Amino acid sequence: MTLPPPAPGQHPASGARPTSRSRRRFLRQLGLAAAGSLLAPPLLQACRGQGGGAGDPASGGSELVISTFPLYIDPDEPDAPGSVARFRADTGIQLRYLEDINDTRQFFARIQPELASGRSLSQDLLVLTSWQAARLIGLGWVDPLPLAEVPNAANLIPALRNPSWDPKGHYTLPWQSGIAGIAYNIKATGRELTGVDDLFDPALKGRVSALLEMRDTMGLLMLADGQDISAPSWDAAQPSFDRLERARRDGQIRRFTGNDYQNDLLAGNLAACIGWSGDVAQLAQEEPDLRFLVPESGGLLWADVMVMPKGARHPQAAARWMNWVYEPVEAARIAAAVQYISPVQGVQAILAKDPATAELASNPLMFPDAATEQRLRVFGPLSGSEEARWEERFAAITEA
Amino acid sequence: MLPSPRPERRLRWAWILLAPGLLWLTLLYLLPLLGLVPLSLSEPLSRFGLDTRFSWHLTNYTDVLGTYGPVLLRSFAFAGLSTALGLLLAYPLACAIRFRGGRWQPLLIGLVVLPSLTSYLVRAIGWTSLLGDSGPVLGLVAALGLTDLGNGLGLLRDGRLLNTPTAVVLGLTSTQLPFLVLPLVVALQRIERRLLEAAADLHAGPWRRFRLVVWPLSRPGLASALLLSLIPAAGDVVNPLFLGGPNDRMIANAIENLLLVQLQAPRAAALTLVLMALTLVVMALSGVAVWLQLRQGSSDHLVLP
Repeated sequence: MTLPPPAPGQHPASGARPTSRSRRRFLRQLGLAAAGSLLAPPLLQACRGQGGGAGDPASGGSELVISTFPLYIDPDEPDAPGSVARFRADTGIQLRYLEDINDTRQFFARIQPELASGRSLSQDLLVLTSWQAARLIGLGWVDPLPLAEVPNAANLIPALRNPSWDPKGHYTLPWQSGIAGIAYNIKATGRELTGVDDLFDPALKGRVSALLEMRDTMGLLMLADGQDISAPSWDAAQPSFDRLERARRDGQIRRFTGNDYQNDLLAGNLAACIGWSGDVAQLAQEEPDLRFLVPESGGLLWADVMVMPKGARHPQAAARWMNWVYEPVEAARIAAAVQYISPVQGVQAILAKDPATAELASNPLMFPDAATEQRLRVFGPLSGSEEARWEERFAAITEA
Repeated sequence: MLPSPRPERRLRWAWILLAPGLLWLTLLYLLPLLGLVPLSLSEPLSRFGLDTRFSWHLTNYTDVLGTYGPVLLRSFAFAGLSTALGLLLAYPLACAIRFRGGRWQPLLIGLVVLPSLTSYLVRAIGWTSLLGDSGPVLGLVAALGLTDLGNGLGLLRDGRLLNTPTAVVLGLTSTQLPFLVLPLVVALQRIERRLLEAAADLHAGPWRRFRLVVWPLSRPGLASALLLSLIPAAGDVVNPLFLGGPNDRMIANAIENLLLVQLQAPRAAALTLVLMALTLVVMALSGVAVWLQLRQGSSDHLVLP
């Protein structure tokens, strides 16, 4: 089944930024591993605030430091301040909102030295992909969230309660979630795509890309193979790994990408790719020929979640922030800007009421219908040693 | 020849002048690099911890060579090709700047360096729009009817240019070009015009003047240009990432992935040291070549034609 794109020319909410392509993962890898590594040294320094807080001018007052992905919240507009500014004004809390996570995988390498040696980070909250949050929980590198002080957490949508990465919901609260599926340009493919097999169609040779985010790429392929990904098994994954490796070798797969598939899709270098729902929802406003497919065999539901790293110094302020963004009205503003699946109940009704955002309320990429929801699967946990094996094989396909 | 100062005094001055640079290199380069040696022979104690145990873990080397050996070869092949291509462009350019540039020489040199003032990340991203499937380069190729030829020669892949080895080599060439041109210009500037005039007086035509005067005297510059281009090109990250496909990755991409994604610092260290060793071999070979030339050059002085 193909989800229709939002109507062309549609504009996001009044409080949201006019169409600019890409919010969430645009810099997330500046597509790219490379920028991450080129930028890493200064950022490493930035992480290094510890204990006494030298170079941390406001450490005495109520300060809150958050690290997250770029373009993942409603920004300041000339006439309307964004969520960050309004939170500051309303609460008097000095929020430092750092959009410094460019590559979800490399960010771990940045925080690892501090957390592994038992020092606390300067951040009070991190927005991480769910599997990474699970890793941190397993390592004991996070504190439980002060949920007693977050009454609005009750607004969490049922689909994201008691998730596999945090079964009791003590450590994580979702920031946004979304779907990994197949994005394609119908002019370039010349036909509607129907499933994962279409990515391997020789007619599309060299004009297909897959994601470097292993769980998304492998998850889609394994679902197409009829495998269960809620408890992913190494043996069951081998046919999908083999298929991916062959496709790379044959030149079927042009690139493995981070968020930069967006540029290639718009430039016409890609006909189809594995991509993320919110990106496509936004891109489709510029390029009406773009489609997003949640394959019959299943799409990947993922979530980025807020976690509190161990020893965070401002848990109260963090609780106020989480409570603030879980207020449905505030969540609706953010949702209208980023166009992913909001984890907060009541957002759809609020968007529907405002004529400027009514169309978003019926966008199936933001509010999946029941049929789509049934096809969504979450990639289950991999143990540390299992994961090492998976990543080694995946890297041998993407890097060697 | 002018008499040179007494050798021992010259030597002392050489060391004094070298000291700051040597100190810098030792502290910030050599020591960290040596630190990689034990790391490369260690195994991690846990997957996400930082602690490693030294255990003569040679399998790190065999593992990375097994997986990434072909990538190493590819890296040096790409570096060699781009350097060769770069030299074909740089040598005539350097000659033109030196012998035809006149008073515009500083400006021309500035123009050569100008692209380097832009981040090479940005330049690589710029290349992607030039070389893209609907970009101007392929448009020109198609308009000239050269697409099939390009495919046949293996320069294009199914009519595509972006994300092919060709694109990576082109990107590397453009990145390295200033490092090829500058040493050559400097070497050529040291050639005295009087030598060329003397050659002309002796009825040497342009070709013989080039072959007997310009070429031999430019060879030291050529050697440093080669090294300045070859070594960074072999370790490039950005060009293969943006301009190459998954079959065109280079070794630095693998090292980065090992260290930051797979969190296998010991294996990353092993691969880094292998790359360093190969680079040193290349340098040693060119050192030998320069030494042979110098010996030949000094004997040239003695033999009168």
